[in-house]
Amino acid sequence: MSYLTIFLGILGLLSAFVFFYFLKFKASTKQTERGDRIKWSKYIPYRDKTSREDLKKESQDATFKDD
Amino acid sequence: MSKHQALDTLGRSGNPIIRSAAFQDKVSANEERMSLEGAVNKTGILLFLTVLAAAFSWNFQGPFMAIISSLGTLVALISGIMTFGFYFFFVGWLVEPRPYNAPRTAPIYAIGMGLFIGLISQQAENMYPGIVIQAVSLTFFVAASLLLAYKTGVIKPNQNLLLMIFAATMGIFLTYIANLVYFLITGNNFFVLTDNGTVGILVSLFIIGIAALNLVLDFDIIEQADEQGAPKYMEWFGAMALMATLIWLYIEILRLLMKLRSR
Repeated sequence: MSYLTIFLGILGLLSAFVFFYFLKFKASTKQTERGDRIKWSKYIPYRDKTSREDLKKESQDATFKDD
Repeated sequence: MSKHQALDTLGRSGNPIIRSAAFQDKVSANEERMSLEGAVNKTGILLFLTVLAAAFSWNFQGPFMAIISSLGTLVALISGIMTFGFYFFFVGWLVEPRPYNAPRTAPIYAIGMGLFIGLISQQAENMYPGIVIQAVSLTFFVAASLLLAYKTGVIKPNQNLLLMIFAATMGIFLTYIANLVYFLITGNNFFVLTDNGTVGILVSLFIIGIAALNLVLDFDIIEQADEQGAPKYMEWFGAMALMATLIWLYIEILRLLMKLRSR
């Protein structure tokens, strides 16, 4: 195994540790408090399914059963 | 319609109730929300599944494994389309993105792509010993560097950057499709994709650059979904997006190293 492979292997291990360690931290305010951020909710409709479920649930709640 | 306005309409629901911010807040208050920690855990699980499948395909080479790997890749692509959708220039969304599928499709995607990269990695390692460790290490090095650049605010993704990365990614995707068709007809690949001269290496570096910038978008998706209190399944979606980009980055780095070693 060449020295380059050993060096890159150690670099890779350190990088993987840094990657998983810092991924769980919130980004700096310099990143998050900007006016020109991409509005991802416009492109990724992550509320569509829950919205439909919620609407269905609400419509069921509003139905009064005659006992 | 300007380019930005056109891009803004992608994936936007026509239903005014669903589009209402007040409604979104109400919905998210009723269900379990995602967290950064959860997204990291899911990324770890997907990475583990990818490595496990890759190790399996690496160790059991042969015609049968080649068929299984091909099927795995096909299933992974279908899983990807079922989650991220399928957009085509001038046509729009052929398949709408369905992020709520991610908890089911993400593990399938990871295993399918794992089988594929195990196969190609083993072939690359046979030709150039040590190349896989180098490619994996460089992939994590690029990912960690961009993560730090993103978290500290050095790289700030905005609409212009999104438009640029989106156009470049679609361009690369179309080139790969055209190359596949060309290969099926003539048995050869495009010169720029396989050339180990300066042009081929510059093309590889460009593709690696675009793949790396896609990582920044993935970080931004995860960060913003966490801030907005997105549903729990967005942890899987973010992790799957991250894995898809990491796998693409790994394949391109492996290809670049092979070109460099063959000179």
